[in-house]
Amino acid sequence: MIKAEHVFKDFGSTKVLKDVTLDINKGEVVVIIGPSGSGKSTFLRCINLLEQPTKGNVLIDDQDLVSLKQKQVTKVREKVGMVFQHFHLFPHKTVLDNLIYAPMKVKKLSKDEAVKRAEALLEKVGLLDKKNQYPNKLSGGQKQRVAIARALAMEPEYMLFDEPTSALDPEMVKEVLDVIQSLAESGMTMVIVTHEMGFAKQVANKVVFMDDGRILESNTPAAFFSNPKTDRAKDFLEKIL
Amino acid sequence: MEHVITGFKTIAPSIPYIINGIWVTLGIALGAAIIGFVLGILLSLCKIGKIKLLSGIARAYTSIFRGTPLIMQLALAYFAIPQLIGLNDVNPTTCAIVTFGLNSGAYMSEIIRSGINAVDKGQFEAASALGVGYWPMMRDIILPQAIKNILPAMMNEFITLTKDSAIVSTIAVTDMMRRSQIVSAEYYMYFPPMFVAFIMYYIVVLILTAVGGRIERRLSRSDQS
Repeated sequence: MIKAEHVFKDFGSTKVLKDVTLDINKGEVVVIIGPSGSGKSTFLRCINLLEQPTKGNVLIDDQDLVSLKQKQVTKVREKVGMVFQHFHLFPHKTVLDNLIYAPMKVKKLSKDEAVKRAEALLEKVGLLDKKNQYPNKLSGGQKQRVAIARALAMEPEYMLFDEPTSALDPEMVKEVLDVIQSLAESGMTMVIVTHEMGFAKQVANKVVFMDDGRILESNTPAAFFSNPKTDRAKDFLEKIL
Repeated sequence: MEHVITGFKTIAPSIPYIINGIWVTLGIALGAAIIGFVLGILLSLCKIGKIKLLSGIARAYTSIFRGTPLIMQLALAYFAIPQLIGLNDVNPTTCAIVTFGLNSGAYMSEIIRSGINAVDKGQFEAASALGVGYWPMMRDIILPQAIKNILPAMMNEFITLTKDSAIVSTIAVTDMMRRSQIVSAEYYMYFPPMFVAFIMYYIVVLILTAVGGRIERRLSRSDQS
């Protein structure tokens, strides 16, 4: 399980996170929503220490990441897959090489095993026929599906999604959301930052509403969307729904 | 005009000797480029790294080698330092390659550093998020992209090395420059031998420039496709 305890994050004099505490249980799908600049992405990035919290603790399976040395952080990160808004595929590697690189390098899989696993994943996201292409030949939606497969190739126990559809053309959003949804149905523990409210309603066990560096509400999607407690959340939902 | 032609006729037997000096020249440039490349990578990693001592050393190193004349560095390495430490038999070619390599490392490190900085920050994050450690990330993900970006600048550095290597004639390495001087002295005739070397330098630089252009075009093609 993931526990974030009283996480603060400053960028210079800007306070981005102000005391964020959140538990994510095994098998849970937590969707974080909120206005731009509310600290959603920064919080997500604190979970795998892409950002170092200024204060507070992040525990993954009872290991406090903040106190770990760099090498050990790298080790814990193997358990936490991450998907970025802008994909960040390795442009100099083919789709297949993108998928087998980390399993071979980090998990010391043999090439045969890694390729087998990668091909199964590409099949799952419907892109096996693209395995020998370079990323710049793919559409945005295809890139993001490859990026999801790349993260899954490490067989992570948790998946973090940082606005996975925000950089996509509208007609490609669905193909990516479908992949994420089937992942949710398979029981993967996930934290998703998104602006797709319909999707949030559909896949989330828990919706977390953030504003101004704080968690204002944390509830089931049904309760949150039909009956938000805070004025700020009401205001936010009115504007976007 | 006529005595110029007679001049070339007179030194004709020595022309191959001069032209073959280009291999010495290119050998020094290539050796120095390899040393400079490896050193440049190390220095650039020190510069962008978080360890203050190492980045300070790397910056000081670059500052010194870029802030003094190459011919001065060469004289220091070949005449002054061996005398200081009591070394008698220094091979001038080895000395030249090492000095040029050390010098080139300073310039290469700045080129490579800018190339690494130009790689999308997301590449570091994606690799880190996959649990890839610092060294494999640099070697397999970041540097290949950085070097691709800076290949033209590195080719320029190699061309500069080729031209600057003429300085090794001052420490008695028989490169193309030195050979043209030797032949000049032998026949007591300066224009023909020096002109041969002059043209030869220019041809080689033109060839290297063309090769660099080809590589650049090929890379930009693979970017688009």
